[in-house]
Formats: sequence, structure tokens, C-alpha cells
Amino acid sequence: MGAVIVITSGKGGVGKTTTTANLGVGLAMLGEKVVLIDADIGLRNLDVVMGLENRIVYDLVDVVEGNCRPKQALIRDKRYDTLFLLPAAQTRDKNAVTPEQMKKLCAELKEEYDYILVDCPAGIEQGFRNAIAGAERALIVTTPEVSAVRDADRIIGLLEAADLGDPKLIINRLRPDMVKRGDMMDIEDILEILAIDLIGVIPDDEKIIISTNRGEPVVANDNGSLSGQAYRNIVRRVRGESVPFLQLYKNSSIFSRLKKIMGLSG
Amino acid sequence: MLVFDENIAEWVTSVEESMSKYTVEFKGTKEGVTIYCQESAGFEEILLDLAARLRQRAVFFGQSKVRIDVGGRQLTEAEQERLADVLAQNSKLVLAGVQTSATRPAEASLARRRGETAELKLENCKEGRSIVIKRTLRSGQSVHYPGNVIVLGDVNPGAEIVAEGDIFVYGTLRGIAHAGRSGDRSASVVALRLAPTQLRIASVISRAPDESSLPNQPEYAYISEDRIMIAAVNTK
Repeated sequence: MGAVIVITSGKGGVGKTTTTANLGVGLAMLGEKVVLIDADIGLRNLDVVMGLENRIVYDLVDVVEGNCRPKQALIRDKRYDTLFLLPAAQTRDKNAVTPEQMKKLCAELKEEYDYILVDCPAGIEQGFRNAIAGAERALIVTTPEVSAVRDADRIIGLLEAADLGDPKLIINRLRPDMVKRGDMMDIEDILEILAIDLIGVIPDDEKIIISTNRGEPVVANDNGSLSGQAYRNIVRRVRGESVPFLQLYKNSSIFSRLKKIMGLSG
Repeated sequence: MLVFDENIAEWVTSVEESMSKYTVEFKGTKEGVTIYCQESAGFEEILLDLAARLRQRAVFFGQSKVRIDVGGRQLTEAEQERLADVLAQNSKLVLAGVQTSATRPAEASLARRRGETAELKLENCKEGRSIVIKRTLRSGQSVHYPGNVIVLGDVNPGAEIVAEGDIFVYGTLRGIAHAGRSGDRSASVVALRLAPTQLRIASVISRAPDESSLPNQPEYAYISEDRIMIAAVNTK
């Protein structure tokens, strides 16, 4: 029996799709049977990021409308044969699917696959409700920006209301140099507001942009990139392993920590 | 080119005279009569003039509705009552309302943080209906309650609490808190760390102080002289 995990954020452009692709590839590299569902109907991207766009025949809407069986719509990945993509329909909109249909589909898929990762669209409307309907775990992606954190907070509240408790947080695109200078929110600042468990921090890395454009998720690249390592660590934590966090920047000195505790520094 | 001949000078003085003769002006509108009060005149003077002019003209207006425009003044309730009295004693006009062009301080003023520590005025805290919320209120979540609201957790930015009584946050208040919703000016907002987006008590609205750092001690907000003040809670 597999696990259904939704990757969501509220705000757009923080890296949900990139994260979904990387986690999917990472899990498949470890031999797990994985299905990625692109729930962003009408604005599909996951197929492009995976480099599978030209293989789409059937899509999510075809499956829920019964035009084909789920297995027919699943596209096998080019490199990892335990990784599959269920693409979104591009010519329809979010209302083409109902939460009940998603629930049924996820229940069906997890009979056979180890992980079903659902790439949630931005926003809190129908598309969001569809994406979380079948999920039992949630990963929230945010960037160290006030607006992204605000939206993540909203999403956590909505997940609680939907009984999808204990979501895990991924902080994406952190720039250690900016944090050091005090120009970017620190991990601790974000955790203080959101107050949920951290499952990973991904440093800002241009290799992600390059690999995303090539359709080859960075997690599989053995080029020594920190971002790839960060994704590999998250993959292991998703599987339940306890992996120490990457040291992205030196911890503040004891003195400055003390000052922070005593409220002397902002 | 303006030719300043004697006739014009005469006309100017006559206008000035007629304007200064009375401090109130009557104007008929579709909705009824509007009485305009001169900006510079004293309130007592206006009352006297109003009484005099009403006695002269009341008969024309009968029982129509009247609005009184007091210009840039802001009348107290007592002053409004006296205006209404004068109107009732000297005419059969029905007072439909008093309008003012004075801008009320409705925009959020800056809450002032007091340097000194103050005793929490617990005598003002109202017993009775209260609700306890045992979780953090997140963006988009709101609590409206006809009593006191006690939050065991944080109130994050984008969340709001509206209470008819007091608000206590045993955590960090970063969202919007509105105490004394129905006009109770003695209501207060207490938080372990008070860093709200906005504070409202009764009809007074304030922004948070512009200091970026979080307070490191419990504080409470209350109304003092039409402003929201923030003071540290004396925990000793």
C-alpha cells in the first residue's frame, strides 16, 4: 500500500513542480514505484520538466471521465522504469475533475505503487481541493519571502481544516549569502511563523534552472551540486530516514545567538 | 482688466454685510432644507442666529426635513442636542441629520509604545462569556465572538480576531485584533508578544509601531485619549 503525498504552496512560482519532479526521480532512483500526478489542469508543466511532453496520449481528465484506464494514461519515464507520470489535460480547466474522482483515482493507484506525488496548482480553489482530496501527507514548498510564507501559512490552515495534518516544510531557493547579510528571511524566521516540521532546505542554484529547462531533474545529476544533494536528502527523509541537514551557512556565533534570545537583535 | 469703480466697491461691501449679518444660511434642496453654518463663527453665535432666522422663516419651511451642515467643526453630543433644541423650539422642521466636513481620524494612526511599564488594568477585564482557542490562527482564519477571546497559540499575519470583550493571546499576535467590537472603549488586547498588523479597540484603529523588532515581554493595548496605547505588562 503506497502513500499519497501532495506538494503544495499556495503561491505560484515557488518550485512545486520542480520539487515534485526531483522527489519523483529521487524515489525512483532508490527503486520505489512512483506515480507523479500533475493536478494543474489547463496549465500543465510537469511533463515539460520531466521531458515527457511528446509522449502524452491520454491525461488525467481522460482517466476520471473513463475514456481510458489509469494504466493507459501513465507515461513511463525515459530513464527510470519505476517512475510514471499522469499528465494534466491542457485543454480543460480545474472543474473537469472533482475531489471525489481524485480520491478514487489515488486510492486505486496506491494499491500498486509505493508513492503517488500530486503536483498541486497554485491557489486555494477547485484545483487545490482536487489535489489534496486523495492525499494523506502534504509537503509545503515556500521561498524565503514574506508573501510566500504568508501563503504557506494560509495553506497549512486549509490543510488542517481538511484533516490533512502534520504537513512538512520545504524551504526553496535560500541564498545563504543574503541570509548572512540579513537581507533574506532566515530558516528560523520562517519556522517561527509557520511552526511546522522542516523536511528540507534547497539552496538557490542555477543548475536547477538549467536542468529544469533540459527536462532532467537535478536530483539525478552527480555533479556535486548542493541543490541535488538537498533533494536527495529530502527523498530519504520522505522515506522515513533521519538525515542531518546540509550546512548551508555557518551557524551564528554563540554570542549573537544569545543576543537573539535576549531580543537585543532583530 | 478689473475696473475697481465705486459701484463694485459698494456691491462688495453689501455682500460682505449680508454674509456677515447672519452666521447661518438656508438652502432648499431636493431632499429638504440644509442649514449651512459659517466656518468662522462661534457656536453660541450660531445658536443665537439660528433661533432668530428660524423665527423669521420657519413658516416657509413647515415640517420639511432639515440637515445642518456645521462645516469643519466636530460637535460633541451635547452641542448636537442644543442644536436640535433650538430647532425644535423655533420651528417645526424635522432634523434629519448633522453633517460635517471634518475628517474623522478613521485612518489608522500609529499606536504609541509607552516606555514605562504599566500595571495591567485588570479591573477593566470583563468576566463572562469567553472562548478558548487551543491552536494557532493562520492566515485567512478568523474568530468572531460576542465575548472575550483567549488564544493559546499564535495569531499569524492575515488572521483576525473580532471580540466584543477583551482579547488575550498566549503567543505572538501578528494578525489583526479588534477588541470591544460593539463600542466598549475599555476593552484591551493582551499578548505575550504584541506585533499586530493592526489593532482596533471599539472604533479606534491603529497600526503597529514601526519598530521592526519584536517586543520581548508581554504587552497590552488600550485606549487612552482616543488613541491606542501599548504598555508592557508588569509581571512582577
